[in-house]
Amino acid sequence: MTTADLLRRQLRDFAAAAVVAVLFASCAFVAVRNSDLAEHQLDLASRSVDQLIAGGEALPTVTGALVAPATPSVAHPYLRHRQLRTPSGWRDLQPSEKWMYDAVTRFDREGAFTELVPDGTGRAIAVRAAEETTAIAITSPTTPAPYPLLVMIGVLGLGLALTAAGSLLGGRGANLGALAGIAALAVPTALWHAWIATTAIALVAAGVTLAQHARLTDRLSDGLVRHRTALGFLMPAMLAMFVLVAAPFLIGIVLGFYDHSHNTWTFVGLSNFGEILSGGGKQLDDPLNFWFILGVTVLWTLANVLLHVTIGVALALVLSRTWLRGKGIFRMLLILPWAIPNYITALMWHGMFQGEYGAVNSILHHAGLSGVSWFSSWATAFSANVITNTWLGFPFMMVVALGALESIPKELYEAASVDGASAWQRFRHITLPHLRPALGPAVALGSIWTFNMFNVIFLVSGGAPGGSTNILVTDAFRWAFERGERYGMAAAEATIIFLILLLWTVFGNRIVKSKDADA
Amino acid sequence: MKAVAALALLTLAACIVACTDAPKPGITLWHSYSGAERTALETSAAHWNTDHPDLPLMLVAMPHDGFADKVTSAIPGGNGPDLFIYAHDRVGAWAEAGVLEPIEFYVDDARADRFSADAIDRLAYHGSLWGLPLTQKALVLYYRTDLVATAPATTDDLVKLAPKMKERDGFAFAYSNVDLYGHAPWLHAFGGTVMDDTGTLAIASPEAANAMAFARDLVATGVVPANADNPLEASLFNAGRVAAVMSGPWFATDIRKDVPWAVATLPIVSPTGRPAAPYFSTEGVLMSARARDKDAAFAVMDALTSDAAAVTRAQIARQVVPNVHAWDDAKVAADPFLRVFRAQIAQSVPMPKTPVMRMVWTPYADALGEVISGRAEPGAKLNALQDAIQKLK
Repeated sequence: MTTADLLRRQLRDFAAAAVVAVLFASCAFVAVRNSDLAEHQLDLASRSVDQLIAGGEALPTVTGALVAPATPSVAHPYLRHRQLRTPSGWRDLQPSEKWMYDAVTRFDREGAFTELVPDGTGRAIAVRAAEETTAIAITSPTTPAPYPLLVMIGVLGLGLALTAAGSLLGGRGANLGALAGIAALAVPTALWHAWIATTAIALVAAGVTLAQHARLTDRLSDGLVRHRTALGFLMPAMLAMFVLVAAPFLIGIVLGFYDHSHNTWTFVGLSNFGEILSGGGKQLDDPLNFWFILGVTVLWTLANVLLHVTIGVALALVLSRTWLRGKGIFRMLLILPWAIPNYITALMWHGMFQGEYGAVNSILHHAGLSGVSWFSSWATAFSANVITNTWLGFPFMMVVALGALESIPKELYEAASVDGASAWQRFRHITLPHLRPALGPAVALGSIWTFNMFNVIFLVSGGAPGGSTNILVTDAFRWAFERGERYGMAAAEATIIFLILLLWTVFGNRIVKSKDADA
Repeated sequence: MKAVAALALLTLAACIVACTDAPKPGITLWHSYSGAERTALETSAAHWNTDHPDLPLMLVAMPHDGFADKVTSAIPGGNGPDLFIYAHDRVGAWAEAGVLEPIEFYVDDARADRFSADAIDRLAYHGSLWGLPLTQKALVLYYRTDLVATAPATTDDLVKLAPKMKERDGFAFAYSNVDLYGHAPWLHAFGGTVMDDTGTLAIASPEAANAMAFARDLVATGVVPANADNPLEASLFNAGRVAAVMSGPWFATDIRKDVPWAVATLPIVSPTGRPAAPYFSTEGVLMSARARDKDAAFAVMDALTSDAAAVTRAQIARQVVPNVHAWDDAKVAADPFLRVFRAQIAQSVPMPKTPVMRMVWTPYADALGEVISGRAEPGAKLNALQDAIQKLK
């Protein structure tokens, strides 16, 4: 490799690493800057309050005041009148001084506090008791320190110089130069005491050096260059997938480690997962126990997929008969349940299962049977859900099976007939094996859809009776919206659902495949 | 190719400019009103906009389902409205979560005395005021005047209608019995409660068990249908298959034009001799803690809850307005519908506004369902319910 090539390669790797390092450094800068600023503002407000209590003035740029205790209205105790102490005596609060009023009200309720005003202006407020009054101080709005562009350019220049110098030396020097050049970018983060970013940049430096040693960077770069057209076309889709799928997914997983209460998030580690998996201290037959719900969900999935496949294949077999007239009409009618949005179907079925005047009970009455109170026992409510979802689900399996049936060569059946095979034998040994490759993926997909079929459960039985027909997704929804906004629990449960389905996709597919191999 | 790329870049730039554009001046209000209530609100807003062209009020109508959740998640993120309309039962949770802005700074006694005390007091929590009241809602008895000549005064009077209605393949009356809001009139008449005066959970009591047994027996003896909800009540009432329905002001819009009907206050619960006492809620206009211009937002709240606006709402939407002087208006005072609701609210129980209440609704409804269908005993079920909610807390 010539020196020019080496230089080009080293500079290329440095540039890639520098992008990552600058990203880390910028994040560290924002975090450090914000916490420094907050500390500074809080300190200003706090010291001003101290001065006010001692009888002095607030610090410059800080607004401070002593507010008198409230005089509540007789008719409405929550309406209070407050006055402000000025050098010339007491005066009423001005319209622009609502913040003072609210801060002192909060002080009366919760006691002293010092905090940032949550409106993005960077102001800090401090409130403490003073003699017969309440001392209160708020800092002026502030803008954070500007981005240290010059520092970053300087450090990048230094890194570039080190890398270039190293590659001119050649051999080991090139690697050492790149290592030092990238590591130089960690200098400002170290000065800001941002140790996480410093370590991360150092690791990037080490990683790039090792990758260079193993020629990984060359191969990566070659690959990028060779496939640049393809990558260009992929980029919009990849970006969209990141924004719409990957980012919410990652946020969801992270939320599972937090507890949410009254708009504050507390990191609780694995405790949400522990609470869910331990059943929350409830009996196994309690409808709120995770394992009970999981049992219901698995049963729900099995029952549905079994019915979808059986009915779908049976109808496909009928529709594929050559003697059947009006096939097109039948096919269209049978696909109709699939074409109607499933929540509308679910709402209609919910109405039809209604106890007193629902269509299902009316039919039972006409047939001389007694009506069923569908949503008052587990078995009937669960059946109502399954019936609805079977109605929704069989057309998909039917369409898949129809497609597969069309592709079976007629000669096979003719040959089997000649050999004297019975109808069952023809189905068992010709139709079924040919259906399997098409039905396998359809069953895998259908089981995942059914496992997470929120609409039917939520709209048909709504979990009744007593939440016992909930499945995991509807239970997660209830954690978020019906049990005091416990978003963390909902996120943790969603993560568990994901893991279950991941296991099912990986191992379920293997089982299907190995069966294929046997067949 | 280059032209296309340039065009795409231009569009992108335009989007970015549009997104970062400075917010327009004005006040945004979210509500879930429809029909006449929406018309009345829009009338008041139009008045405001004529008087304040520099500070327009923009109304955003949203479906009621999920409205509260939307507000809860949008406001802390800074994306919510300046003002919104909701019932008082969420005020406690929203005040604690920092979603709402306290407004008592703007309100003096004169302004507060504009409203009846039972209305404005509902919007106070933790020693602060969080909104101004627009209207109050409670359950009353709607009855078909062609099926019952005079309003049933007691539940026994209602029960007596059952045989006649059975002949029509119907029921004496209907109400949402698998729902705490619908069940509350019995609960309170029997002396039961969900929260005691100190705000602690008091679900399990012999009184509450008696109320549940009463509700169960109404279904068991065929006096009311099981699992009724608003659509079913409306269709039964319109078909003449129930003589009466216990429901709120929204029910009036579901009644067919050719059906003769009237409203009355809820009957006396015969086993107790006390009147059925529903929950009443106070709907108010509330201010977001993130409202951009709080002084202007309050001016809008004040205008929307003025006596003039209240008369507009009472006349157009037949809202039971809490403004004392609105009832001096001859047309409002003479409206029999409004008078019944006003009398009913006077003998109703305020819906609790503590955050714990939000964990009660669904499990309580489940418990009612189990007891009414005969799968659980009232006493044991209420004890279990109290324990379960205590644990959730």
